[in-house]
Amino acid sequence: MVRFSLRALLANKVRLLLTVASVTVGVAFVAGTFVLSDTMVKAFDELYAGLTSGTDVVVRSESAYDADVTTTGGQVRPLDDDLVARVRAVPGVEVAEGSVFGFALIIDRKGEPIQPGGAPTFGTSIAEDRRLSGAGSIREGRAPEGPHEVVVDARTAAKAGFRVGDDVDVVLQDGRRTFRLVGIVGFGETDSLLGATMAGFDLGTAQRMLGKPGVVDEIDVRALGGVSAETLRDRIAEALPDGVEAVTGDQAADEGTAAVEDALGVFTTVLLVFAGVSLLVGTFVIWNTFTVLVAQRRREVALLRAVGATQRQVLGGVLFEATVVGVVAGAAGLAAGVGLAAGIRSLLGLVGVDVPTTSAAVEPRTVLAAFAVGLGVTAAAALLPAWAAARVAPMEALRESGPADRTAGRVRHVAGWTILGVGAAMLAAVSVTADRRWWTALAALTTFAGLVVVGPMLARGMSRLVGSGRSTAWRIAARNIARNSRRAAATALALAIGLAVVTAVAVAASSLEDSVSEAVSGGNRADLVLEPAGAGMGISSSVAALLRSRDDVRDVVELREWGAEVGGEEHLITALDTAGLDRVIDLGIESGSLDDLRPGRMLVSTAAADDLDVGTGDAVVVTFPETGRRVMRVAGTFDQGSLINASYVITMPDYDANVTSRLDGAILLRTVSGLDPDRAKERIEAAVADYPNVTVNTPADLTRRAQDSVNQLLGIVTALLLLAVVIAVLGVVNTLVLSVTERSRELGLLRAVGATKRQVRAIVRRESVLMSLLGALCGVVLGTAVGVALARALAEEGITTVSVPVLTLAAYVVVAIVVGVLAAVGPARRASGVDVLRAVSSE
Amino acid sequence: MRGLRLPGPGRAAPADVDTAGGAVPAARAAHASRVYGAGATAVVALDDVTIALPAAQFTAVMGPSGSGKSTLMHCLAGLDIVTSGQVFLGNTDLASLTDRQRTLLRRDRLGFVFQSFNLLPTLSAAENILLPCDLAGRRPDTEWFATVVDKLALADRLSHRPAELSGGQQQRVAVGRALISRPEVVFADEPTGALDSRSGRELLGFLRSVVDELGQTVVMVTHDPGAAAYADRVVFLADGSVVEEMEGPTRDLVLATMGRLGSG
Repeated sequence: MVRFSLRALLANKVRLLLTVASVTVGVAFVAGTFVLSDTMVKAFDELYAGLTSGTDVVVRSESAYDADVTTTGGQVRPLDDDLVARVRAVPGVEVAEGSVFGFALIIDRKGEPIQPGGAPTFGTSIAEDRRLSGAGSIREGRAPEGPHEVVVDARTAAKAGFRVGDDVDVVLQDGRRTFRLVGIVGFGETDSLLGATMAGFDLGTAQRMLGKPGVVDEIDVRALGGVSAETLRDRIAEALPDGVEAVTGDQAADEGTAAVEDALGVFTTVLLVFAGVSLLVGTFVIWNTFTVLVAQRRREVALLRAVGATQRQVLGGVLFEATVVGVVAGAAGLAAGVGLAAGIRSLLGLVGVDVPTTSAAVEPRTVLAAFAVGLGVTAAAALLPAWAAARVAPMEALRESGPADRTAGRVRHVAGWTILGVGAAMLAAVSVTADRRWWTALAALTTFAGLVVVGPMLARGMSRLVGSGRSTAWRIAARNIARNSRRAAATALALAIGLAVVTAVAVAASSLEDSVSEAVSGGNRADLVLEPAGAGMGISSSVAALLRSRDDVRDVVELREWGAEVGGEEHLITALDTAGLDRVIDLGIESGSLDDLRPGRMLVSTAAADDLDVGTGDAVVVTFPETGRRVMRVAGTFDQGSLINASYVITMPDYDANVTSRLDGAILLRTVSGLDPDRAKERIEAAVADYPNVTVNTPADLTRRAQDSVNQLLGIVTALLLLAVVIAVLGVVNTLVLSVTERSRELGLLRAVGATKRQVRAIVRRESVLMSLLGALCGVVLGTAVGVALARALAEEGITTVSVPVLTLAAYVVVAIVVGVLAAVGPARRASGVDVLRAVSSE
Repeated sequence: MRGLRLPGPGRAAPADVDTAGGAVPAARAAHASRVYGAGATAVVALDDVTIALPAAQFTAVMGPSGSGKSTLMHCLAGLDIVTSGQVFLGNTDLASLTDRQRTLLRRDRLGFVFQSFNLLPTLSAAENILLPCDLAGRRPDTEWFATVVDKLALADRLSHRPAELSGGQQQRVAVGRALISRPEVVFADEPTGALDSRSGRELLGFLRSVVDELGQTVVMVTHDPGAAAYADRVVFLADGSVVEEMEGPTRDLVLATMGRLGSG
């Protein structure tokens, strides 16, 4: 039986290839995701280990909770300078030095900020004892000394063409300054810390420049020979006041790695969702392929049964074939995944995220996952067809008739439409009620399940519609679809899955885009909004001071954001100046009053208030990572926070009391009346010329930028999902090849009675177009319904309007038709090349 | 494509043609040979065959398995190409045509009936009959369609799918399809091979009548002496060559000839 199965597989290599390919893409995504995240974690691990290799113990403030690095930049409450001396006095300490870090933006020779995408721009103190820097070393020049000297990382130096001895401008929290470059820093083999730019000063300068006079962020300690890190850690801990902790260098490195792993979590999840979609599509393709194979080989199977093969042997034979496909797909997917991971890494490198170089990490888990997914999907998809094969009666070997489609029973008919109806009703219901994410997902799946059941009926309906036309080619194509309506439906639905997701994303994104425009035009009252360019850390607080001193500016409202825990989850807390607040933004106060917003009080968005079940006047506990629990009273609720992406608004004094950073996330300003917005923009741009990382935006600029970022996101998501569509297209090709093989005699007959090759090709092409069209229509209709429901489910996230991008969706359908034509090229050629003589000669 | 018509004589009207190999035969082969493969494994299926098929006559081609009778028919019908010699349909030299031209020739000037698997299962009887016209994008001659359907007694079966028809009815639909374009020659390859004897006799009767009453030319390959007896003329093939021709055959004469050829 095994030999028989292998022969059957190898008999048609194109088919084997197509079948394997349909699973490989999904497996590659799974493997690639794992390899990429493992490789990055490994790289960070090596990097952190290198950096802390010379440090035995790190002393720092305890964090009130495990804050996410992306919301706080890793900032903890600074320690008093005096503590350094106290730590140094602990027996067993050889060296103890304080260190600080903060915002520092390096300006290149053309006056442009050196701003890598995604990575921070920071300044730090350079340890006097070189051993504390671990892998970080001065490659050229010397360490900085005194208030006018700086060192930069090798990557930044290379990028800007800086040499030791040059003057380098740096934008700091309190303004722009010029320093003399005295050294260039490297980190082992790597030129930069993951693409971040670094400006290093001596400790005293760093404290002043980074806004931390008299304090240090952490104390790095080196033990005397013979004293272990753990022993020293425990000794130091005894000497520390409350709220300050000592950890070993290794612990600190592990925490850094863990934070990276956390940050990669979202990314990994998103990629795995794509993998899931591709695998679902792949499952359909495999299921379909095996169903057709079994149908075509019924007589062969019956013959095997007639000569004594047991049901179990037949079942095993089909499953063995599936296993081979699964193993091959798993191996190919694993290899492709490693390549995919390398591709994504170099892509990240291109956009400026300097991923540290290390060998690709292929963990056993990845190998296991690749094969498990490849095998699991294939075996699961082949199970039903294998059963069908096992149930073939030996008698069928003797019968004349070929594979025929059983017509759907009444039960299937009724059940299918019922499920579809229930799903559609659920989708409608969640669209009305909004904010029901799980129900939306359930409704989408139910509707799809309904589509799967009624698919063959839809295929037949479509075929009746087209088949009644006058054109012979269309008629023959349509009737072929109806003849194998299950096969056609399964093929079309594989395409529908991909398109449904693409469509749903398109509808949700289009709704988001409209909502953003609405938010900007609805809530905004500012004439100009200043924002940091790119993904920089923020705007120096001196910018706001500069603006306030101008007489053409009436109101200046600073906005700062920081992570804090509210109701057990980490959220971004937004701090705003209260003076002039209602002149730059309309928050849409629902209850309470804006006037009540003062220290100790906070505004909460209506959605967040619902979640926390609080109202105006109630107390809310906010836990800041640096300072811990603070009880705030709700001054009011608002419902138009989407412009500034705020759910919790506090006052600036509260922010400053609980957060060390003084960088602004945005500055909203209103000019004196009568000033033309474009003129105002020019003036303010000139005024902040010393801060090249600050962008000045009119409300129109903001709308455009927000829409651009939505479109960019949509583009990336669509590109990834199109992979699923590609798999579905492979499915179409596969189905066509199989049905052409099956109908070679019929096609030969057509050729014998005078159909030209072109006419035969046209028939196959039309079949392909019909299947693609069915898939596209199902996908787009389902996707639109799901997209609307999804947009409504995300109302809380700021999607306030629902918009269906009709033109885009129409384009999808057109693309599907084109894809149908392209998918048919190979099979059509095969069909028109059938040997007429062999087809019409009786065997 | 539509509009492209092949050079060739007008359709032969029954009255213009004498019996027994008159002036212009409907089709003919001159020194036609067909060799499959090359070198040591070469198989000579047709060996220097010269034969004329008179118009408005019913010709049967007989011979044992491997005698080349099917190859001869395929070459005459433009389904296969001779390796040497010439094959004509009317005055058209088939060897000079491209694949596409031969396809159009089959569509417009020839008709086919095969042993089995003769119809498209997805099309109704009427649609199957009209298939050559549909493929040509030509409006069918409704009068001729009615005549053919009436002759073949298919009037009440037109909307049925092949699966809903008996074997004999299916073969009659195939004959109808072969006739719809008023072909110069109808080729039938063992048309009764898959039928029971009663349906077979019935079908042969229909073929006889389309020659007698509609003036069509029919060439039938068969190995059944009873079937050959319905023809005006029988051509015997053996080992790729024409070994005997017989006018006005009867079952017994054919049997006798076959016996002689088989033993000799």
